[in-house]
Amino acid sequence: MSNTQQTEEVPLRQRISENPRPALVWLLAGALLIAMEFGALVGVFVDLLSLIVNLIPGNPGIGAVNALEAFVKSIPTLLSRDVIPNQGYWNGQGWEATFLGLEPKYAWLVRTILVYVYAALVFAWAWNGYTRFRRYYRYADWTPRDDVVDRLRGHTWGQFGFVIVFLFLVMAIFAPALGPTTVEANILDPYSNSVQYWDGEVGTSNGEVAEITVGEANLGSGSQGTASENFGPWTYDDYNRFHPFGTTTNGKDLFTNMATGARVSLSIGLASMGAAGIIALALAMITSYYKGLSDLIVILTSDSIQALPILMILILVMVVFQGTWFAELYDGALLMIGIFVLTQWPFLWRAIRGPALQTAEQEWIDAAKSFGQKPFVIMEKHMAPYVIGYMLVYTSMSLGGIIIAVAGLSFLGLGINPPTPEWGRIISDGQPYVASASWHISLIPGLLITLIVTGFNALGDGIRDAIDPKSKTGEGENTEAMAGGSGA
Amino acid sequence: MSRWQYFLRRILLSIPVVLFGTTVTFMIIRLGPLDPAAAILGPTGDPAAYDRIREQLGLTQPLWQQYFDFLFQLFTFDLGNSWVIGPGRTAYELILIHAPRTIWLGFWSVLIALFVGIPLGFYAGLNPNTFSDYTASFGGIVWRAMPNFWLAIIFVSVLSQSEDLLFGFEWSSWLVQTNVVTPPSLAFMSEPLALLTNPGDTWPQLIGAIKQIAPAAIVLGSSSMGNEMRIGRTAVLETINSNYVETARAKGVSNRTIVWKHVFRNALIPLVPIITGEAFLLIGGSVLVETVFAINGLGWLFFQAAIQGDLPLVGSLMFIFILILVGTNILQDFLYTIIDPRVGYDQS
Repeated sequence: MSNTQQTEEVPLRQRISENPRPALVWLLAGALLIAMEFGALVGVFVDLLSLIVNLIPGNPGIGAVNALEAFVKSIPTLLSRDVIPNQGYWNGQGWEATFLGLEPKYAWLVRTILVYVYAALVFAWAWNGYTRFRRYYRYADWTPRDDVVDRLRGHTWGQFGFVIVFLFLVMAIFAPALGPTTVEANILDPYSNSVQYWDGEVGTSNGEVAEITVGEANLGSGSQGTASENFGPWTYDDYNRFHPFGTTTNGKDLFTNMATGARVSLSIGLASMGAAGIIALALAMITSYYKGLSDLIVILTSDSIQALPILMILILVMVVFQGTWFAELYDGALLMIGIFVLTQWPFLWRAIRGPALQTAEQEWIDAAKSFGQKPFVIMEKHMAPYVIGYMLVYTSMSLGGIIIAVAGLSFLGLGINPPTPEWGRIISDGQPYVASASWHISLIPGLLITLIVTGFNALGDGIRDAIDPKSKTGEGENTEAMAGGSGA
Repeated sequence: MSRWQYFLRRILLSIPVVLFGTTVTFMIIRLGPLDPAAAILGPTGDPAAYDRIREQLGLTQPLWQQYFDFLFQLFTFDLGNSWVIGPGRTAYELILIHAPRTIWLGFWSVLIALFVGIPLGFYAGLNPNTFSDYTASFGGIVWRAMPNFWLAIIFVSVLSQSEDLLFGFEWSSWLVQTNVVTPPSLAFMSEPLALLTNPGDTWPQLIGAIKQIAPAAIVLGSSSMGNEMRIGRTAVLETINSNYVETARAKGVSNRTIVWKHVFRNALIPLVPIITGEAFLLIGGSVLVETVFAINGLGWLFFQAAIQGDLPLVGSLMFIFILILVGTNILQDFLYTIIDPRVGYDQS
């Protein structure tokens, strides 16, 4: 006991400066990766800036922001449709205006594959950073969290879930670069944009290059169920435009819709579960630390909220708020996020209440208390880390339910305001054509929803088994019930 | 605390829950940006009628007065009138017309889910890590992940063109002639005895009603079916590896007795909250599934009342839904109290 040596804690910065090479190599690789997408990255911040400026009355400095936006657009970005264009036309001998003169579908494929390769590289880089930290800079040779990570690496089902979630996240983040066309040109403002195409049979030289507005081209390429009026997955329409998932009923590109829809669904899901998670975690800390009255109050509130028919409340609120400025914010997404946060935190809090109470009973909490540590520090440092894992499990499982609920509301015509693409609305558009040649309109979004919900559930299963291998789905009842969502 | 004290406490605790739910409904309807009177009248209403409706709804009174009136009326089951869906008719009448279809739908979706999900889950649990276990488990997970409304659309489309898509099997003329998208005809329910006295006429009606509701019930039961399967599987796995089963096996109790007497009954306990929790899935899901299958039940009524601005009816329906949900929660506690003798001992 007496010969334990108290080693002086050296800050991480000092540890790195003593052995800078691994960190430098890693940072250099990171800088390289960022440089490839610098334009897109800065573009996000500039977009955010212009959004804020537009919200401020009088729009101060709008000119400067617009100039900045134009400048950022001129920065070359590797994975953009300017560098790897897929929209081109047949000129009688070959393809014009596409990447390397490839056929549009191959040009699109090249860009899509490159986007996913890039995303995989970024992930590998982040993972490499973690292993470098573990190997060169961390004091402890081993921490319990290493075991969690190792167990997750050995969990095939959880990894399957992770891969699916990763694919969809990349789809959402890179939505503008992934679509064969853009939302602005194809969906929002088709009559101000035009495409050139070969007016004649592609592959032959009889015909001529013509120009048409996107809006008119869309009119001629809708999928309406009959064999003559259908542009299914992996086909071209009559205007040399390639559609990986086919076209919608009114001739818009389904893949562009899906990618942007993934953005909408995932950002609603992640934002609402993130906020609900913070509330649930804070309440769980307070109720398990202080117990008594605070616990009782939160129990009553959460019981009451949990007994509400959530989907009905959603419908009612969407109807009541229709047409107000609050429902216009972010196309109605903000309103939905608000309702989800208010209705979902009790489920999360219930799920982590048990583990939080257990942690609060531990001896080290007692020790910290007698040591004179402040309650907030105890909660933050000694309790929260043990509970966060459980929360991740439930968050992942209920994300699926939220994605389904958002789609269900849009299916009913109440969710995201058109024309912003949303999965549920596309399903509703394609409803009359399910058993016809244009089956793809409804089927593909439904399959994507099924896939991502399965993915989130699998990821949740994986994390649960990783953080607590002994729990044979002990709290399973809760998770199972939540994964089903609100019945949409 | 004894088991029954625990149960009594749960009942008492459900009173503030109902109160909270009605308060939230009141706040959304009366404090939200949508004026109930304007919503009833639509965009082309004349001011005199607007004032009259405001007067009749009690909107001219101070807010606290409105709140207490609202609570008092609901808690005395004075559900008021419908204004848009069925002008002048009481909410009671409308609920009586629409509720049987939803109950019929809910009944079959619970039943189908139970009789498919639990046996499959138990089968998978008794044969763990075999090919059939993996097939059943994976199928359950994917089945549960499908959005109800999407599944409903697929069912409707496939069944309405079944002779083309299902190799000549024609759903609409199978057994009894029915339409795919239609409310079930429940006329036979008014005289249930006719099933015995006049079987020739009424049995086809009963079969027709079941057939009409079956696709919707399967869709609505899908997520609970998956849940029941997964929980059933883990519950069986947990019980079968427990010490008392090992003891029984060592004593030489036959496999059959072990499964039916020891494993089966104990594995049912964790399934109770899943089965009662179905109420939530059913009430939420009924809106979408009833809309797709054109079953004009309570969910459909709620949705129509909401989008057509019949807010007084919406408030009453919401109260009914909350009562149903709280009722199922109490039922769940009751079942627990009866089935599991440990209840009340380790719960705070």
